Amino acid sequence: MIARVFEEQGLTTTGLVLIEEHAERVKPPRMLAVPFYFGNTLGEADNPELQHKVLQATFDLLTSDQGPILERYPEGKIPDVMIQGSEANKLPQVNETYSPDMSPADELTALRGYYEQWVNSRNGRTAVGLTGIPQRRFRGIVRFLESYINEENADMKERPADIDIPQFVRYCVDDLKAFYYEARMAQRPNGSDVDIHTWFWSNTAMGNLVMLLAEYMRNSPDQSVNTVAYGIAR
Amino acid sequence: MPRLEHLSEIVRKQMLMWPCLEYDDTPWTPMAKPLSKSKLGLVTTAGLHVRGDKPFIPNQPGGDTSYRVIARNTNVQDIVQSHASIGFDHTGIYRDINVTFPIERLNELESQGKIGSLSENYYSYMGALRDVTGIIENTGPDVAQRLKNDGVEVVLLTPT
Repeated sequence: MIARVFEEQGLTTTGLVLIEEHAERVKPPRMLAVPFYFGNTLGEADNPELQHKVLQATFDLLTSDQGPILERYPEGKIPDVMIQGSEANKLPQVNETYSPDMSPADELTALRGYYEQWVNSRNGRTAVGLTGIPQRRFRGIVRFLESYINEENADMKERPADIDIPQFVRYCVDDLKAFYYEARMAQRPNGSDVDIHTWFWSNTAMGNLVMLLAEYMRNSPDQSVNTVAYGIAR
Repeated sequence: MPRLEHLSEIVRKQMLMWPCLEYDDTPWTPMAKPLSKSKLGLVTTAGLHVRGDKPFIPNQPGGDTSYRVIARNTNVQDIVQSHASIGFDHTGIYRDINVTFPIERLNELESQGKIGSLSENYYSYMGALRDVTGIIENTGPDVAQRLKNDGVEVVLLTPT
């Protein structure tokens, strides 16, 4: 849709699309339909060669003098389909270290070394940061989420005034997930993406807490809370 | 439809029933000159923004149609994502932002002379919108004007 708006304003556009069927309906001027899974638009992380090939194919569409053009990128390596929390327990376990007695806050602290190792190895790059709360104070986020589930009128002083509590809960969960995933990528460098999803949802106290949180929010009479639940776990 | 075949039944149906606007025609602005002599801008619907900038709102009805400015020289360390959907795999972008937002790949292509030049600012929207009226009427033309003011002729669009 953005391509159409830009083109009407006199800009030439080319782009990538993950759902070819949507482009057939919207009819943007030039689109390359890629076979990769959502989140991997240019093919694969840390694979600049493939990313450049995909970009070149996208820019090649600019040489046509009429459209719409909707071309397919040839089938290549297709990353595994990710799993959602409710699907994780149906898969073979990749790790048996999780103890139901472990508290999410203690587990988080135990993973901190790996998280910091990951960030250092990436020259400071991290997906953590939506709440603005430093990761060394994430135990406070865990306490907030546990209180929220227990209907204790939970809030955090770090929540910006224009962000309501359910929205802030979402940012908290996104920060915790990013922390865990990045820690796990350092702890298990050769683990596949599916391994990481399975580990988080099946083998961690935090995955369990996030599932409980989503269930609690799904049962809220407030529809905007239900919407947030859908973006937390399903 | 080989791609949809990779998805679960539920996701496949959800994607096929997505409330896209439908058109019969296509607006078309021809290339004025080769890419190697053009100025290119990058626009994504990956819900990215600079760390410390206001995150996108996850529970806005129809979706958040606002946009964020990401200066081209922003360190990749300072770009984060607040996408409303968990229907995509975040691990790719945790590992390498270029898999969705090829900021470093474009710098390489400019250095190699394959792209004439790059705009000062890139732009980011939220994806998975169910109501795109705000983009059609307001934020789309607004970003287009900003890009044109920056001398941009060609725009690369990336989803997540």
